[in-house]
Amino acid sequence: MNGHSDIKRWLLWAAALAAGALLLFVLWPSAASSDEERQAIRDGREVIVYWDRHSGHEHAERRKLINEFNHSQNEVYIRAVPIGFEALMEKALTSIAGSAPPDIMSLDGSVICQLAGDGLFLPLDDFVAGEPEIRPDKFFPSIWPMIKFDGHVWVIPTTTDIICLIWNKQEFIKAGLDPERPPQTLEELEDYAAKLTVRKPNGAIEQMGFLPWLPWDNSFMWGEFFGGKWYNEKTGLSECGSDPAIIRSFAWQLSFTQGPDPSKDKPYAMDPNMVTSFSKGLGEYMSANNPFYTGRVAMMTEGEWQVAYIPKYAPSLDWGVAPIPQPAGVTPMAYDPTIVGDIIPATARHPEAAKKFLHWFYNNRPGGTSPVSDYNAAIRNIPPRIDDAMQERFMKNPKFSVFVRQLLDRPVVALPSIPSNRLLTDEMERQRERVVMHETTPEEAARMVQDTVNREIMRLRSLPKGGAAK
Amino acid sequence: MMTRMEKRNLAMGLLFASPWVLGFLVFTLYPLIMSIYYSFTSFNVVQPAVWVGLDNYRELFFKDPVFWTALYNTLYFTLFSVPLCLASGLGIAMLLNQKLPGQSVFRTLFFLPSIVPIVASAVLWLWVLNPESGLVNSLLMQWFGIQGPGWIASPEWSKPSLILMSVWGIGGAMVIFLAGLADVPPTLYEVAELDGAGAWAKFRHVTLPMLTPTILFNLVMGLISSFQYFTQVYVMTGGKGTPVDTTMFYALYLYRNSFYYLRMGYASAMAWMLFMVILAATVGVLVSSRKWVFYHGE
Repeated sequence: MNGHSDIKRWLLWAAALAAGALLLFVLWPSAASSDEERQAIRDGREVIVYWDRHSGHEHAERRKLINEFNHSQNEVYIRAVPIGFEALMEKALTSIAGSAPPDIMSLDGSVICQLAGDGLFLPLDDFVAGEPEIRPDKFFPSIWPMIKFDGHVWVIPTTTDIICLIWNKQEFIKAGLDPERPPQTLEELEDYAAKLTVRKPNGAIEQMGFLPWLPWDNSFMWGEFFGGKWYNEKTGLSECGSDPAIIRSFAWQLSFTQGPDPSKDKPYAMDPNMVTSFSKGLGEYMSANNPFYTGRVAMMTEGEWQVAYIPKYAPSLDWGVAPIPQPAGVTPMAYDPTIVGDIIPATARHPEAAKKFLHWFYNNRPGGTSPVSDYNAAIRNIPPRIDDAMQERFMKNPKFSVFVRQLLDRPVVALPSIPSNRLLTDEMERQRERVVMHETTPEEAARMVQDTVNREIMRLRSLPKGGAAK
Repeated sequence: MMTRMEKRNLAMGLLFASPWVLGFLVFTLYPLIMSIYYSFTSFNVVQPAVWVGLDNYRELFFKDPVFWTALYNTLYFTLFSVPLCLASGLGIAMLLNQKLPGQSVFRTLFFLPSIVPIVASAVLWLWVLNPESGLVNSLLMQWFGIQGPGWIASPEWSKPSLILMSVWGIGGAMVIFLAGLADVPPTLYEVAELDGAGAWAKFRHVTLPMLTPTILFNLVMGLISSFQYFTQVYVMTGGKGTPVDTTMFYALYLYRNSFYYLRMGYASAMAWMLFMVILAATVGVLVSSRKWVFYHGE
């Protein structure tokens, strides 16, 4: 009897183990994500993983080119994964620090600055030295400082951007303005903003003419356009607290919200609470409800990608693009907010295969164009190399060419390539918000930005340098 | 001396508990202990930690105004949200404790919001509280002709909005209150009725004292989760704590320091300060409970 129940128990154990093993087998992650990749593994090709910070149609275009690369040779196969730009740094940091990174990854310039100094990326100096198409003189002048800093090239740039003023011609006509004549000066911009702002009977904002911090905070750009410097490259510190131009730029942004004394308000000033309610109630940026597409905001500072977005989300919108009006007495400038580029993580398993892809991506096909310029043409971003950007497919578009010309015709300002640049932009935005909500003064705000950023810079300086940069 | 069977049972018990024990050691106890060390260092995950003594704590207390703002916001939220959730959880539990047809259906309906993922409910509330086209402001305008506030966009209303939103998640407390109510002996109500007690007197002198252990449990759990309030505000403000830092909660600021600025040492110091605050609040509540918690059978 006992022997019988023992056998029964062991059989039950064996069945449970077998079921567990079967479950594990079924749920075990596959080494390949597609039949094509399985075939590549069988063919003995090196399979590498590419993390794309783009998603949606922009990733689809990237994937097309990666497929082309996969079919162009039989040594390397790339699996492209869209990771999106949300929490980009967290994803990059944890994957690389955890020794489970992709072999190649596209990242924003600000993230690259923050992580490069810690040795998270492979320096690409040797690779670049062997690539005649990736030389400093090939790029727009503003690009190279964003890819080479702390003595090393960290990233191969894929796209860059420029911010201009875009306006809704229909709303100009409704306001009695010439739809073909955008504001030329800061005073005109203010005048147009007043004329294009429509209020409801209860004071709420029906339509906004212009707001310097829509669709996002641009305090860095305005500060520099006013002739200020947020960061002194020579001293390696922020000195904005005592920079009158930076303080003026905060004060100008403040003029867009009403203060306690109505007699001092500018005609375009709006109630600060109404402004925040209006801003929070606006539709999704990447959708047909974007406030510029729906006419709720008549003028905005925006990037060249709108040349692709607007036909997609608001095909009937009649709009124009022009350089951003700037204060008198200061040399007109352009603002390049960032680059997006490819890095190879320091702990990547197949760095040489990743370099093969970068080489392919940056060189012209026989008798044709380079994949990097095709990618920019497809997603309507600006190629970082001058020759690519000058191609007819970019310049024949009258709107797109306005953006590109900014990079050539004007001195370009860009965020400093320092590890604290995220803290700098976050603190600028925080203080700008406090200024326009009348929680602090422009002077105090500038001083707070300086103190916060310098405290972090000094802390970082006190630490030993490490990683690949050592 | 353990018998062979006891030893075998112990081994089997440990074997079955081992996944949790291992997980606890690796993912809780080790990080907990290391975070004490990291709080005295400058550490960014990638580079070795550099000992900086009390610098992180000095900066927190004397140089970082946002730390105090975040602490104030969190205390404010806790002070209003916890009692509100306790009162509404108890109130709804009392209603759902009535012997009515469809009682279990109502209980399920009121519990449903608690199983909606927090991120999904935060996005939903963003729509409901949208100052321009949200449900609440539209109804206020249609029914009362009132222009509603900016809710989450308004410096005055952002925290009250989040406090009101917190009632959405009272399902867990409600279920525990229901269990507590089921545990109240019916004889006590019968005796009270014989003494001429009305509904309010029965609630005040029977239900409430009998529920005090449940209230204590919900209070302590509510305090702990309120002090760590994060997900909703991260989703609703894009991690910025806007407007003008009025929703910069402690956990959000801690997260920003750790993952935005890679200041893990500083964030560890923040985490330990939060631990101390929660510990003090919990101990305070537990000590005070001797005076107001009644255990059945004592």
